[in-house]
Amino acid sequence: MRGKFLKVAVAATATAMLATACGSGGDSDNAGQAGGTLRVYNAEPAFLTPSGGDDEPSLYVIRQLYRGLVKYNADTSAVEMDLAESVESADQKLWKIKIKSGYTFDNGEPVNADAFIRSWNYAAYGPNAQNNGYFMKRIVGVKDLQPEDPDGDGPKKAPEPATKELSGLKKVDDLTFTVELDAPFSGFPTTIGYPGFFPMAQACVDDIAKCNETPIGNGPYKMDGSWQHNVAINVVRSDSWKGEPGKPDRIEYRIFADVDGGYAAFQANELDVMYTLPPARYKEAKQQYGDRMFEMAGDSFTYVGFPTYNDDFKDKRIRQALSLSIDRQSIIDAVFDGRNAPATGFVAPSFEGARENVCQYCSKDVDKAKQLLAEAGGWPAGKKLILWANAGAGHDQWLQAVGDQIKAALDIDYELKVNLQFAEYLETADKKKFTGPFRLGWGPDYPFLETFLYPLYGTGAGSNNAGYSNAEVDALLKEGDAAESMQAAIPSYQKAEDILGEELPVIPMWWRKEGAVYSENVDQFVWNKVADADYGATSLKKN
Amino acid sequence: MGRYVIRRLLQFIPTVLGTMFLLHYITSLAIQFSGNPVRALFGDRTPPPALLQAITERLGYGDPCLDRKGDPCLWRAAEDGGGLLGSGYELGLFFDRLHGIFFNFDFGINLRQQEVTDLVANAIPFTLKLLVIAIVFEAVVGIAAGVLAGLRGGSFLDYMVKISTVFVISVPIFVLGLVVREFVGVKFGNVLRGQDWIPDLISVGVFSPVFKPDYPLASLIIPGMVLGSVSLATTARLTRTSIMENVRADYVRTAKAKGLTNKRVIGVHTLRNSLIPVITFLGVDIGAAMAGAVVTETIFNVPGIGRLVTMSARTGESSVVIGVVTMLVLVVLLANLLVDILYAVLDPRIRYE
Repeated sequence: MRGKFLKVAVAATATAMLATACGSGGDSDNAGQAGGTLRVYNAEPAFLTPSGGDDEPSLYVIRQLYRGLVKYNADTSAVEMDLAESVESADQKLWKIKIKSGYTFDNGEPVNADAFIRSWNYAAYGPNAQNNGYFMKRIVGVKDLQPEDPDGDGPKKAPEPATKELSGLKKVDDLTFTVELDAPFSGFPTTIGYPGFFPMAQACVDDIAKCNETPIGNGPYKMDGSWQHNVAINVVRSDSWKGEPGKPDRIEYRIFADVDGGYAAFQANELDVMYTLPPARYKEAKQQYGDRMFEMAGDSFTYVGFPTYNDDFKDKRIRQALSLSIDRQSIIDAVFDGRNAPATGFVAPSFEGARENVCQYCSKDVDKAKQLLAEAGGWPAGKKLILWANAGAGHDQWLQAVGDQIKAALDIDYELKVNLQFAEYLETADKKKFTGPFRLGWGPDYPFLETFLYPLYGTGAGSNNAGYSNAEVDALLKEGDAAESMQAAIPSYQKAEDILGEELPVIPMWWRKEGAVYSENVDQFVWNKVADADYGATSLKKN
Repeated sequence: MGRYVIRRLLQFIPTVLGTMFLLHYITSLAIQFSGNPVRALFGDRTPPPALLQAITERLGYGDPCLDRKGDPCLWRAAEDGGGLLGSGYELGLFFDRLHGIFFNFDFGINLRQQEVTDLVANAIPFTLKLLVIAIVFEAVVGIAAGVLAGLRGGSFLDYMVKISTVFVISVPIFVLGLVVREFVGVKFGNVLRGQDWIPDLISVGVFSPVFKPDYPLASLIIPGMVLGSVSLATTARLTRTSIMENVRADYVRTAKAKGLTNKRVIGVHTLRNSLIPVITFLGVDIGAAMAGAVVTETIFNVPGIGRLVTMSARTGESSVVIGVVTMLVLVVLLANLLVDILYAVLDPRIRYE
């Protein structure tokens, strides 16, 4: 017994290794068809309805329970038809969507044009208070469903919308409907793979609270029991799904309050996949799990924006000089254990049409920085550069490094303003009250360049916190939006990105590297570039 | 006795109202000073103002007093101008909340539009199990150790109890919890899981590093013991001192002189009287254990009340914090009342008229 006792550090893996030995003897085509139960880490989702869930934990579950019109290729992130037969438009403004026949919800209701129109209307209708109402912003008539408070200030009583239906959605026949956008948008087909655009059954909309507890999906998996809040969500393969079946027979989402607890469970072989890691354990995990750790430069963008509405930052040379004094890689190594990739452009490197070194001012060059600052007339003497970040999220450390580097390069004194909680910080951003460079981030809504450009830099766009406005950029973005295809749109967007690389409304900092670990039970782990970990496509080893 | 209980119950009212006002005021101040929590839901994506407004209102953060820094949200200008007794003001958010809670049993919803009552109902069984495990562990082990040490003062056993309790008392619970999770749950647990002869209930259940839905009771044992260990030391030392004092008491000498068996002298005459301070402590400790549960449940991922409070405090969900903490206050008050009544049972000299 003692001899066995010593080997126990690897003993837990013994059965798995045995399974590998058996599996490699069989034919390789069958590998990955072993079925089995995939146990995955998850945080508590906010909602399990397509209209409500917009956070990572919700999306991970919704993407297995529901399916939408299009899906994304795991490696190339290209748009592929899923439930849609075709998504076409002549003018990029009026889109005609045909749906494949024969798909049903778990309760037997057909997935037809009504199912999509119903879902989108439900999300857009203000009083329903659905988080994904945001994503319906391009469809004609959305303003009627989200009317604003006429007097603009409290009491915050929004008026009742006059209609419950988006006027831009029209049913043609049972399996066809048209979507009218308020402006041409060539990237529309990429947007509808987002779970906010997935269909909902009538029974679901009729009793949304019940549907949230026990979703009525249309995807490769269906609920097994209902949502056990804060404990687990179990799904099993659905018989009614006509598409490519999911690989595991069953997926168990264990819900954790924090990622450290999840990691402990993973170490104890209670989980097969963790889509994220506790930052403090990253090095250790990399050493311990080696090739069972999956890493990829992600599409989560961190930037330091300039309040271009403030006189100090109106001159682009000042912005360039500040950007030139930062050595991104050294901050990444020192503060993040190398878990980020320095940004040299404004579009995620994994995106089609993304290029390196779009920003010529994004690597450290102190001499050039000094020269540009001098040309711009220097920094106001005695004035402190105020660097903003929200409190309690661990941003102070790297922002301080940024400040130190600027001080060393340009001799500008800085001050950190990191006492605002996230909500107030965002409200400050919305009201354009920043007095110095501010930290913010951005994640794409769909795999198309535009998602990194218009919302952040278009004149008057929602998340344009820099208050940046450039007629040329606006015109190029419009040109891309109206291009006849997604491919044809890319050059226009790239030209717009080039201007941003020169003008620097924000300093691109880095892209977060995604890190996931999986257990020895997993045969093939699939990471979708857009949708992240794809549990339905991940296969387990045969036992 | 009946009158005493009624008087005590009446004292609950100002205590509960006072606590609720404090909670209401603190959470309101948090919103007034740190911004609308609904805005944070959207993160980097700036929501259209109309949508933000609709969701803010739906989630119960629409009251304009939440925009005015320092406003206790007691009154608001009446919409029709008349208001209460023609003053132009009507009762504000605080009274809306009281009305909801006490008349409609409506504790509001959290940021995910779930009823607070549902959240609590889901969480309570886990916390109760955890507390029972903790209190039983702490009472049984603590009292046993205290009795053994107290009866043989100055012996090796006595010193061992004294030293080990100092050790336990000096480690804060969050350190103990993390250490136990890492070394007992993960490292030692993995050793056990590698042994075929150990039943799954032990290796996969009891020694799971975190709460496991497949073994809902077994995987709570270690977290419960961690929670109980904090007060274990105090229980043991209280019992020890109390026993030492009482063995020299007149009535114990009398009992011995009567020729009663040693078992009866210790078990009935000494122990019963020695337990009064211990019971007081254990009763008060239920409140402290609830506070400890906030830490333990978060570390061991137990989906109970403590974890619920932690999560909602992090996201600033006023309704959950107010609802849950109010319920906790009631639990502590009731526990204290029960302890006071238990005194009379344990010690016939104590009477409540």
